[in-house]
Amino acid sequence: MAIASDVLVVGGGLAGATAALAAAREGADVRLVSHKQSTLSQASGLVDALGYVPHTRAEADDDPTATPTAGRTGIRDRPDPDGPLVDPFAAVDRLPEGHPYRLVGTDALRAGLTLFDEVVDGYRGSHTDRNALVPTFGGTVKPTARYPDAVAAGLASDDRPMLVVGFRSLTDFDARQVAARLEATGVPFPVAGVEVAFPAAFRDDAAVTRFARALDRDEAIDGTPARRALAAAVEPHLDAVEGGAARIGFPAFLGDDAASAVRADLADHLGADVFEIPMGPPSLPGLRLEDRLYAALEDAGVRYETGNPVVGRELADGADGRDGASGRVESLLVDRMGTEVPYAAEAVVLATGGLVGKGIHSDREGVREPVLGCHVPHPAERYEWYVDDALGDQPYARFGVDADDRLRPLDADGAVQFPNVRVAGATLGGADVAREKSASGVSLATGLVAGREAAAEVAR
Amino acid sequence: MRRTTEVLVVGGGSTGCGIARDLATRGVDVTLVEKGNLTHGTTGRMHGLLHSGGRYAVADRASARECIEENDVLRDIAAHCVEETGGLFVKRPEDEESYFQEKLAGCRACDIPAEVLSGAEAREREPYLATDIEKAIAVPDAAIDPFRLCVANAADAADHGARVATHAEVTDVLVEASEVVGVEVRHGDGPRKATTEVGTTERITADHVVNATGAWAGQLGAMAGVDIAVRPSKGVMTVMNTRQVDTVVNRCRPKGDADIVVPHETACILGTTDEEVDDPEDYPEERWEVDLLVEQLAELLPILREARTLRSFWGVRPLYEPPGTGTEDPTDITRDFFLLDHADRDGLPGMTSIVGGKLTTYRLMAEDITDHVCEKLGVSATCRTADESLPGSDDIGALHERMDEFGLRSPVSRRSAQRLGSRTDEVLDTDGPNPVVCECEAVTRAEVRDAIDGAGRDLNAVRLRTRAAMGTCQGGFCCHRMAAELEPEFDASEARASLDELYQERWKGQRHACWGEQLSQAMLNHMLHATTMNRDGDPARLDDDIDFGAFDGGDAWP
Amino acid sequence: MTGHDDSDPEDEEHHPAPGVPRLGRDEQEAVYGPDDIVDPPEAGIDPVTRATGPTPDEGTDIAADGGTSASDGGGEPSEVRRASSEPRSDGDLDPANYDAVDVFDTGALDLRDGSDACYKCTSCDTSCPVAEVDDSFPGPKFQGPEQWRLKRKEDADIDPSITDCSNCMRCDSACPSSVPLSQMHNEARGEYVDEQMAKLSREYVRNRILSNYRFFAALASKTPRLANFVTGLSVTQWAGEKLLGITSEREFPDFAEETFREWWRDRGGAQVSDPDKRVAYFHGCYSNYNTPEVGKAMVRVYEAFGYEVMVPPQQCSGTPMFANGMLADARRHAETNVEELVAAIGEGADVIASCTSCSLSLRQEYPELFDLHGIEDVAEHTFEALEYLRIHEDLGGALADAELDGESLAYHAPCHARNQGLARQARETFADVDGVTVEDVGDSCSGISGTYGWKEEKYETSMAIGAEMFEHMADVEGDVGLTECPTCAMQMEHGTGYEVKHPLQVLEAAVVG
Repeated sequence: MAIASDVLVVGGGLAGATAALAAAREGADVRLVSHKQSTLSQASGLVDALGYVPHTRAEADDDPTATPTAGRTGIRDRPDPDGPLVDPFAAVDRLPEGHPYRLVGTDALRAGLTLFDEVVDGYRGSHTDRNALVPTFGGTVKPTARYPDAVAAGLASDDRPMLVVGFRSLTDFDARQVAARLEATGVPFPVAGVEVAFPAAFRDDAAVTRFARALDRDEAIDGTPARRALAAAVEPHLDAVEGGAARIGFPAFLGDDAASAVRADLADHLGADVFEIPMGPPSLPGLRLEDRLYAALEDAGVRYETGNPVVGRELADGADGRDGASGRVESLLVDRMGTEVPYAAEAVVLATGGLVGKGIHSDREGVREPVLGCHVPHPAERYEWYVDDALGDQPYARFGVDADDRLRPLDADGAVQFPNVRVAGATLGGADVAREKSASGVSLATGLVAGREAAAEVAR
Repeated sequence: MRRTTEVLVVGGGSTGCGIARDLATRGVDVTLVEKGNLTHGTTGRMHGLLHSGGRYAVADRASARECIEENDVLRDIAAHCVEETGGLFVKRPEDEESYFQEKLAGCRACDIPAEVLSGAEAREREPYLATDIEKAIAVPDAAIDPFRLCVANAADAADHGARVATHAEVTDVLVEASEVVGVEVRHGDGPRKATTEVGTTERITADHVVNATGAWAGQLGAMAGVDIAVRPSKGVMTVMNTRQVDTVVNRCRPKGDADIVVPHETACILGTTDEEVDDPEDYPEERWEVDLLVEQLAELLPILREARTLRSFWGVRPLYEPPGTGTEDPTDITRDFFLLDHADRDGLPGMTSIVGGKLTTYRLMAEDITDHVCEKLGVSATCRTADESLPGSDDIGALHERMDEFGLRSPVSRRSAQRLGSRTDEVLDTDGPNPVVCECEAVTRAEVRDAIDGAGRDLNAVRLRTRAAMGTCQGGFCCHRMAAELEPEFDASEARASLDELYQERWKGQRHACWGEQLSQAMLNHMLHATTMNRDGDPARLDDDIDFGAFDGGDAWP
Repeated sequence: MTGHDDSDPEDEEHHPAPGVPRLGRDEQEAVYGPDDIVDPPEAGIDPVTRATGPTPDEGTDIAADGGTSASDGGGEPSEVRRASSEPRSDGDLDPANYDAVDVFDTGALDLRDGSDACYKCTSCDTSCPVAEVDDSFPGPKFQGPEQWRLKRKEDADIDPSITDCSNCMRCDSACPSSVPLSQMHNEARGEYVDEQMAKLSREYVRNRILSNYRFFAALASKTPRLANFVTGLSVTQWAGEKLLGITSEREFPDFAEETFREWWRDRGGAQVSDPDKRVAYFHGCYSNYNTPEVGKAMVRVYEAFGYEVMVPPQQCSGTPMFANGMLADARRHAETNVEELVAAIGEGADVIASCTSCSLSLRQEYPELFDLHGIEDVAEHTFEALEYLRIHEDLGGALADAELDGESLAYHAPCHARNQGLARQARETFADVDGVTVEDVGDSCSGISGTYGWKEEKYETSMAIGAEMFEHMADVEGDVGLTECPTCAMQMEHGTGYEVKHPLQVLEAAVVG
């Protein structure tokens, strides 16, 4: 077999990278395969651990199976969640049974965050167990455990006056509205918003990477260096906020490779701290995080490749000689543009993502995990996959593979399906990471455990 | 007693807007009230077919003739609302040859241009048609946008002095001395705040009240103490993400469920079913209905089985039959319309109801009822609605030559011009940046702002006017952008409420498409709005105050 | 007649060398001369003459030594399976691929349904090297799923910005939803060129010339010294820019004194014969006319591993044609390639390309854009040279004792390698080899994208995209470049002055010595 490794990690997002790093630290020879670039470019770059314990239907006592009707939409007295939580670790016990955190415990979450702190530069928050509240581009604040340097000056628990800057050609938010909404959350500082024309010379549909590059390289735009031009656009508005702007928040386009230099220069020009407000996809902070993770994989000696999907598996024969009866995965089949090539491994980590990352598939008939065929519990009736309130306790949000406390996938009867497989990240079911603000934490905690477990499997 | 208006029209669907336009252009002082947005009822919940009449050519030739005549008129006066797609009646091997021949004969008898195509010719026109389609009849079906149509009618009415009040729900019909003298309305949230105070009630008196509430006609009638036995019948429609066909495809067989695909703007709409319901606002929306559409229509277009659906919605037909007809099956109830003169019928002067009918003949229905009302009022002006273009449909000819002037990408300017018609210049010619707000449907800021000018803070009304949030991501990536455009006219809390309404409304239809790509989309939208924006945990909405001091205040900040 | 691979069965004794032509310099005329630009290279040649090898069902053997029968199974290692599970016959040809029905027999594809997979995450835009340097380019999401979805069948206004796409195809590997982005771009560009680009415009003529590089290379390599002299003249460069819009900033590549195919013929073809271990080499134009040393390295390395190498007649893979929207040209070339390669596959061979753009074209663009007899089989059986050895041979073992004399190489992964999952293979292959260090120069695009960087109006964009790579090349230790792609190599050399090698050449030094 030409292509083999001790541990084979499938999936190149935060969970897969964490698993690969954790296994490599245990001395395993690790290979990571990812079909596409990771979906980190869609993530805000914040590392949320646990921000809320949202209400569940079981508590809320409304009937999820009621047929949708024409007359009913949306919120019917949505109960408040428990949160925002100051301490993410203390609330884990209040999460539902089967939640990934309940499987691996708070120690795994701590260890995952520690691993993250060790391998990823440019993040803060490790000095405390407490969550930070950071402004969102929706005009709210949200609790998070680790945040990039670029976000640090924007913390909502800091009482310095804040100016929020929007670009006129940017449609995702209006800075004036964001400021007013922040005010409504009760933030302990004066805040104002201003919309500026920057860079007027660009076409309205320029890509965010274009903005970032112009600032990275301080390109001359109509004769003025980009950083100076941006500062000049903001300068007249420094007094728009009561007490004068001590910190200025921008959409998170402030450079890519040279982001910290861009912020420092802007701060210099403007005489105030500069921070970024994380945006939706495509997200530069997410891309910067991806770069750092892949550099860490490189440093750890993990071999990785991107571009071809894993489409199947080969199982070892059982002790009785029956085909594939042992359930042990011997190799995964990678589709190299029409040819299935086996990649052999002693242990496999499945971290292919969830519904967003395409690690969980669905059709009108049901929900499934396409790579290994792991069991995905879900209601047989499609109309029980959702509830009326768009932001309510959506069953679909918890779709994923069921696992035991060693993160081995479980079949419909609760028995281990593949003894040498570990599942991590959004591929696991049981969490509503969006409402809990727990996506990154779940990836780190389960990635860490899956990686260590896989390495231990090899040692056995 | 001083009356507020000469004629009060209740209902902002195609019929109500058509009546308001007709009355106003004849010089009558008219007020239209609608409890939701324009098209809130049945008009906004149809498959968007402008009938050639081919569908009725066997069973109801009178309707078929009306359809083809009105089809011609609307292509003319509402050019920017109509896409001349053409239509096909396709025959599968198991469909009756005799019915095919009847359909053909019927079309010819009703002067509906009809041409027989072989299976191969039909597939050349529409490559995704099933390979065993034997033949087809080509007819001049078309696609029509009911939202633009109503907005254009309402705008023309307003241009002729009418008052159009949306989000104004009739809470009572005022009857004095056995005569209807007006209505009481409650003003809801949505229209421009400058016009009325939210939550206030208003008495509007009128010489005559027109009940154009369609499926809700019975409810309004009850307020006046008359019995109008509307038989609401629901039908499901499923919206596909792309246009699998550019021609309306009908199945050539006697009436049945799931037999039509209408290309509509960027999408296709599958239709439909026909099932009687008790309440036009409260009926079950069920999975089998959606599955039926996909499965049945895949017999004509196999690709539909794998294709992505965006949402499903249900409409309620305002079917009516004169008392005592006693039809059992709703599919057998006539599609004709009825003018109910309550003075003759119930001894209650001052009110006329219109029930039944269909969008294709909305103008004709409006003309009939307007003639009737004018006769009562002693107005002798004649109807001009068939001869005068609706706003947006005059002089569209030169549009495409000017599309490059707005600095937009070709497909964006083309789409914008198709929506805006002759208003393109006026709307798109703006100062400052004009970025695309809704990428799926290519709707720019200028168009969104123009819709806000017309519709106020109700983003669902903005959506209906512009199609923003009606594309692939169903608003996931643009409904917050639309809310951002409400600044500075509306304050941040209003913008948030508008955003919530739109987001929930978009979810309502997507629930029915929650599998495959659309479920993946739903999860991405959920992550964006809940994770990244934290809209569900927004402290401004929660009961408890936050102790900001308890959270991380940052480490030593250099 | 010319242009015919005259492998008459009766002549085989006298011409034992497989795939060796008897027709002089280059047995295959370019199939296609750009209209009205130049005359065909030799009077009297029908411009649509193609080299036609016998088809597999004629049962003759076209390029293998010794006339093994076509029904002899391909010698593939048992652990590698084809992705499709249909029964095999004819070597490894998949009968299921031979009854394709093209519903869009008009030639143009309707790709609106490709928009179904898009969930608007915009990852593709962040991967786009052009959008990053040029704010007037809206990026792949608009060019692909959005533009297609907004289209109606009769709409002919493709946004002109589609011509700014360099066809690097990075968006394909960025997209988490497998939207057929590059296919959409290729179709849109083809449609734009067909419907909206004036056929007498300088741009069209210039693009036609650039995309038919092979035609001119074939001409030039008849008199390589003269050609190199002429293209090296500043007056030529001046004229190219002024008359055609080909940048004068770049130096035309030198033509080899001896083409790869001439070398192959002179050495007597394959030196190893093994009917169970065959590969058909798709060398592409550049290895043939400009860098035959890459082709030679491929042959020597593969022979060292015991492979019988076949060199079937072939045309351009179409890469430059796709990038310029010249789909009809690409299709004509594809017809030859598919026919010849299907025959080779029937002989039990897998197809090996040394250029990552060629392999990507055969694997992805061919089946996406054309409906030709056997095209799926060609796609399934095509591999990049190093990739194939990594799958089938114990490269680690073969390299374990290899020692090179202290080479430090600055490796750039071509975008087209990325899409095939090959971006890391050169680094991994040589990671443990003594005396060679391979350092990655970052994951940016080199910016030349084939013919793109040759266009006068794109030159600046091309260099702006390449800036990051040049900087990284300056940062790393080595001052020799390494890449699989000939035009990336051109850009690397142009931006830094480094000599640039192909991994096969390093492998040759390590394995063959």
